[in-house]
Amino acid sequence: MAAEDLPSEFDVVILGTGLAESVAAAAFSRVGQRVLHVDRRSYYAANWASFTFNGLLNWIQQYHVNELQDWSSLLEDGEEVIYLSNPDTASIKNLQVFCFTSEEDEKEEEASSSTPTNAAEDHNINADEEAVKESSETESAGNTVTNLLVAIDCIISEHSILYNPCNSPENVPDTARVSKTGSYFYLRLMYSRGSLVDLLIKSNVSRYAEFKNVTRILTYRQGKVEQVPCSRADVFASRQLSVVEKRKLMRFLTSCMEETEEQMAYHGRPYSEFLRDQQLGDNLEHFILHSIAMVTEHTLTEEGLASTRNFLQCLGRYGNTPFLFPVYGLGEIPQCFCRMCAVFGGIYCLRHSVSCLLVDKDTNRCKAVIDSRGQRISCSHFVVEEGYVGPERKRVATPPRFISRAVLITDSSVLSSNSDQQVSLVTIPPIAAGCAAVRMVELSSSTMTCMPGTYLVHLTCQSSGSAYEDLSPLVSRIFCTPDSPDQGNTQNCPSVLWCLYFNITDGSGLETEGHDLPSNVYMCSGPDGGLSHENAIKQAEAIFSKILPDEDFCPPAPNPEDIIYDGDATASAEGEDKEGEDKEGEKENQDKLEEAVLTEETVQTATATSTLPSG
Amino acid sequence: KMAIRELKVCLLGDTGVGKSSIVCRFVQDHFDHNISPTIGASFLTKTVPCGHELHKFLIWDTAGQERFHSLAPMYYRGSAAAVIVYDITKLDSFQTLKKWVKELKEHGPEDIVVAIAGNKNDLGDIREVPMKEAKEFAESIAAIFIETSARNAVNIEELFQKISKQIPPLENPEVESNDSFKLTRAPAPSTRRCC
Ligand SMILES: Cc1cc2nc3c(=O)[nH]c(=O)nc-3n(C[C@H](O)[C@H](O)[C@H](O)COP(=O)(O)OP(=O)(O)OC[C@H]3O[C@@H](n4cnc5c(N)ncnc54)[C@H](O)[C@@H]3O)c2cc1C
Ligand SMILES: Nc1nc2c(ncn2[C@@H]2O[C@H](COP(=O)(O)OP(=O)(O)O)[C@@H](O)[C@H]2O)c(=O)[nH]1
Ligand SMILES: [Mg+2]
Repeated sequence: MAAEDLPSEFDVVILGTGLAESVAAAAFSRVGQRVLHVDRRSYYAANWASFTFNGLLNWIQQYHVNELQDWSSLLEDGEEVIYLSNPDTASIKNLQVFCFTSEEDEKEEEASSSTPTNAAEDHNINADEEAVKESSETESAGNTVTNLLVAIDCIISEHSILYNPCNSPENVPDTARVSKTGSYFYLRLMYSRGSLVDLLIKSNVSRYAEFKNVTRILTYRQGKVEQVPCSRADVFASRQLSVVEKRKLMRFLTSCMEETEEQMAYHGRPYSEFLRDQQLGDNLEHFILHSIAMVTEHTLTEEGLASTRNFLQCLGRYGNTPFLFPVYGLGEIPQCFCRMCAVFGGIYCLRHSVSCLLVDKDTNRCKAVIDSRGQRISCSHFVVEEGYVGPERKRVATPPRFISRAVLITDSSVLSSNSDQQVSLVTIPPIAAGCAAVRMVELSSSTMTCMPGTYLVHLTCQSSGSAYEDLSPLVSRIFCTPDSPDQGNTQNCPSVLWCLYFNITDGSGLETEGHDLPSNVYMCSGPDGGLSHENAIKQAEAIFSKILPDEDFCPPAPNPEDIIYDGDATASAEGEDKEGEDKEGEKENQDKLEEAVLTEETVQTATATSTLPSG
Repeated sequence: KMAIRELKVCLLGDTGVGKSSIVCRFVQDHFDHNISPTIGASFLTKTVPCGHELHKFLIWDTAGQERFHSLAPMYYRGSAAAVIVYDITKLDSFQTLKKWVKELKEHGPEDIVVAIAGNKNDLGDIREVPMKEAKEFAESIAAIFIETSARNAVNIEELFQKISKQIPPLENPEVESNDSFKLTRAPAPSTRRCC
């Protein structure tokens, strides 16, 4: 696997493998642009990556100083240099790990009703202001699901081992042991409709990924976790709603699908007020506001209604709730787009970066980049993940925005049901004035993220303080931890076996305009507060249409059955649909796709509709 | 009617050993010395009978991402089998085989069927890798072993037949799918019942 040299000229060079960069890479490559896509990390998907905890700890620990090398010898006349920086600097901070395992052997289940003496130790690693992280050769192993499975395995089978590192005197977690615990570092759900889903389907990238549905929606209210009835079946089956409430809810949900004059009258006023005036009662008001619309007390009626409709429209598309998540985590999605880019000729290099841009002083355009090996690579356009661009060149919201996250491993579900394979989304309204609403996702072992008998729980909110400050009060209420107020009352609460808190930069803090960059350099932001992937898709599409206004954005890739190798080089050119000459052909292709979907189960005979070059 | 079973197969091995050529030979019975790395194929398919089942191979090529050691973990997900290819005329490509095996252990599914293919066996006169050594290595990791020539269509069908045979038959065809699904254009036909 000897290292080869890269070509020295590309149309588009892309640095960073986050969602927006990867979508852009696929789009450019798909229409015949020569794309070089690199990332200094050893794994795909940047801050969208799904990690094992092992990977995360490695990541935090492997900081070392970024030596700036002097590449000025490679400059040509009239050029100046912009140095790039490390994307991981300051994107994560306040990482804290806690471990609560009982001193008793786990076999002694009967004893579990008495709250065991718990041990907790706080490992506080402050990652911000640190210098550079360099990925080790083997670190990519941290991304694998195999690892993850092994990992979670060990929580159970090696309970006492997990317990040890937490009590060990040294302040840094013993990676060799903690590495046995794994969990998705960044979990995101998707609405079953929306730009990302549309794009996945339109481009045929969807064939690379598998999804599951969130099976139920819960909410936390008056100290209790309750199920939110959202489909017709749920409503009828619900035991906590009275017959009158059921009728009211059905009527409301049906009526809000259409715009009425009554609704118009509430425009500009809070949705909560509109709901109150519908005489729905507290129960229903709570469900609709917090769990269906998922908005706050202050959200305006028009926005609340739009959210409610969106929820209802997503319902039933793939399952009983409007939410999907990719099996193996959202980190798969950027990888899928990268594969699409590669399939159309894009070149991929991980552990490879761009150290600086060479800018023509007269035109203020980036003419070339110098890669981390000191090779000069010319390009017409350069797309870069926000994190690589130094703070002095970009405009971000002040103060910088962060997201607070917690990841827990627990021993039972927050709401037991007849199935132990639920995947639940829990909406939690602010627990006190001034607090943020929290979204919680609880995954069972059916998601292949944890061992049978354990649950993996993610909590997310906008930061006001550190993740620990923002989320631990809630965690100690819903779960049984040593901080839980009412120890006698917590028998029914799930126990937290292990938890992690951290803050991560909120991608929505990046301004769209006003950066001090050459005119052919485009910046993409990382994941935002978790409200939508819309942003990433829009960024990619905007960059694409700025550079290639007349090209189609991610047209469907041909079906495997339609590809034939053709030795005859002359014949191959005409079949390429990238000329965009006939919309007819495109349409045909589209029809083919629909057909393929419908007849998925039948054997397809190879048809020679799209001939691709083989030479 | 025979049940069709889709089996994802991924190909591994250094650039230039003939991975794409093997797929091309198997799927289209075609060989081209200047095969383009860019074929726009997400994967290629071919269906072959195996006992009471039809095996529809979905063959994923690396799309060149192996060149700079940047294969994505998603490449391995859900593979029923992996073919690790080396070039019998390049000792290097055999030595890195172990690296690919390790990579597969790390990223691939646990119960994956592994086949090792020594390609370009039409070039026996400039052979650098003795068949015996390769065979012993394959045995040591319980992998299928075969020497192939994509150029002369030698043992290509056989390679995939061997894989087919090692795939355990489905106990109960109904149970196969766990509840994950692919997103498709046609919305799920289930009654749209949003209240
Ligand atoms: C209840 C809920 C829980 C979520 N939990 C997580 C999480 O745990 N982790 C995480 O990273 N992401 C989370 N998200 C964000 C979620 O991943 C994105 O909203 C979703 O992926 C958007 O996918 P899309 O790009 O397909 O749809 P989009 O096109 O982005 O959205 C479709 C439509 O929904 C609207 N919309 C987007 N977000 C909301 C919202 N919150 N409320 C109302 N309307 C909205 C958009 O304006 C758009 O019109 C959550 C979102 C919601 C609503
Ligand atoms: N002589 C010979 N050449 C082969 C054979 N298979 C592939 N090649 C050649 O080896 C080169 C690399 O093949 P390719 O399929 O692109 O390898 P990949 O990088 O592993 O996909 C091409 O020039 C092929 O023509 C074979 O069986 N015999
Ligand atoms: Mg190839």
